[in-house]
Amino acid sequence: MSPGIFRIDARPGKMTAFVLSWFLFAAGIALYMHASHTRHIENPDDKVAPNLTQLAQGITDAVLKPADDDDIDPAANAAKPWYERFFTSMLWSDTVASSKRFAWAMLLLVPAVVLGMHMGLFPVVGVFFLRFILFFDKIIALSVLPILFIAFGIDELSKIMLIVIGVTPTIILDTFNLTKSVPPEQVVKGFTLGARDFGVAYRIVLRQILPRVINSIRLNLKPIMLFLFAGEMIASQNGLAFRIALMRRNMAMNVIIPYVMWVALLLFLVDLGMHVLNRKLHPWFRES
Amino acid sequence: MRDEFIRLDDLCVEYNVHGHASKKVLEHLDLTICEGQFVAVCGQTGCGKSTMLRIVLGAERPTSGRVLIEGRELPRPDRHRGYVPQKYSLFPDKTVLDNITFGPEMEEFGLLGRLTPRFFRSRAELRRTAFGYLRQMGLQESDSGKYPDQLSGGMQQRVAIAQALIMKPKILLMDEAFSALDPATRGDMQKLVRRLWRETGTTILFVTHNLSEAVYLGTRVVVLGKESPEPSARVVLDVEVPDSIRNPDGYPRRDALDGLTRKIEDAAMEGRLELEMAEFGG
Repeated sequence: MSPGIFRIDARPGKMTAFVLSWFLFAAGIALYMHASHTRHIENPDDKVAPNLTQLAQGITDAVLKPADDDDIDPAANAAKPWYERFFTSMLWSDTVASSKRFAWAMLLLVPAVVLGMHMGLFPVVGVFFLRFILFFDKIIALSVLPILFIAFGIDELSKIMLIVIGVTPTIILDTFNLTKSVPPEQVVKGFTLGARDFGVAYRIVLRQILPRVINSIRLNLKPIMLFLFAGEMIASQNGLAFRIALMRRNMAMNVIIPYVMWVALLLFLVDLGMHVLNRKLHPWFRES
Repeated sequence: MRDEFIRLDDLCVEYNVHGHASKKVLEHLDLTICEGQFVAVCGQTGCGKSTMLRIVLGAERPTSGRVLIEGRELPRPDRHRGYVPQKYSLFPDKTVLDNITFGPEMEEFGLLGRLTPRFFRSRAELRRTAFGYLRQMGLQESDSGKYPDQLSGGMQQRVAIAQALIMKPKILLMDEAFSALDPATRGDMQKLVRRLWRETGTTILFVTHNLSEAVYLGTRVVVLGKESPEPSARVVLDVEVPDSIRNPDGYPRRDALDGLTRKIEDAAMEGRLELEMAEFGG
């Protein structure tokens, strides 16, 4: 290592970069293992910082145990092949339940994008909606949760509405701004090439802003998940966040920690998927 | 003089600045353009020449006055007026070929026309036509799959001209179309446009702040300028550039060019005009 390692013009080697980039992961795991170890010396049944055996047990429970113990006889379940047990497990059923809500929320972003684009392109539509949506955007979605529960009941609809109220104003306004940033030359050019209003809107403007809109949705994945989890933790019978909230009551950290990691992995995969899809659909797009 | 084709009738343009104060850009502008003319409009930056072009295009509305194209007012840009701006002249999300075929495709098949079987039948022919234009612009067929991003500035403008010409517009409006290009490319593009004009006979309105470009390209040069106390611009000079003063390479002869310069300078002196001469003869 040269003495200039901390300088702006430092050029860390491959090996150095590898070690440095993984160091905090290793340190975090080591620190956890140490804490877990000391706690287990004091109390062998400690649940706050589960050791590897407990974690392995928690993961096994999550992926192999059925979500509702009452329905299925444990002995009969244990005899089934692992993949059958996995598809009745609590991890799988929770993932499916949360994914459904997530998919609905994503689907409802499509009209948001279309509305934002129309607001940016058609002045009358813009004037009609903009002020209201700017107002709507300032409402804290969680503060209207009680209203949603009263208005829509505590079933799926209110949870999806929470996500919609929380995220769509941002997406609408973002699409609106992206539409406004399309050079006016492009619109004029479209008219001179015989396109009509909707031709310009959908064949020129929407196509140009779409990769940026997708990136904007990617940035909003965390708020979407946040609202989803808030809804599930407060009122739900299933779902990833419901399970985490339930496990908190039993202090089952050995299930909570794998769940947290699983959710992080899922979100990472969704984000990666959207990124790859964006690249494939828009090879012309250069991120700047 | 041939029949009047486009008439700018007493155009006035005012902009609102900060709500109250209005700024006059053009005042009492009259101009008649005949079919087949190559009109080069020049003048210093901010004199309203681009505004005038956008009004002829229909992208902007004058405060008063009107533009008649073959005797009719056309309220917004349409397929009869081709447009080649300085920047953003191509659709970045479409390949060169798709950029060129976009116009005929939209016109004939509309928004969802791509889904009809008729479109697939005529697509091959449309592509052949597009390749024809591509070659005419001096581009390779291998460039047809590229995105505008991957082309140089000059090549982008070549595609933009092809994109406009495939519609066979009544008038081609070019707004500082070559101003962002380096001198060598710019020279090539000027030659190309002159050749295209001679071949197709399209009426062209070409806005530039470069006088030598205007004199080389135009069969007629219109100079817009402001008289010092007045904030708004008017036509200070309107001259024909006859073919007789051109060398075989298309450039006007030196003496003719000097004569023209003097004429413009005199006009400028007479009207106490703010007109930059620096770029003339460059």
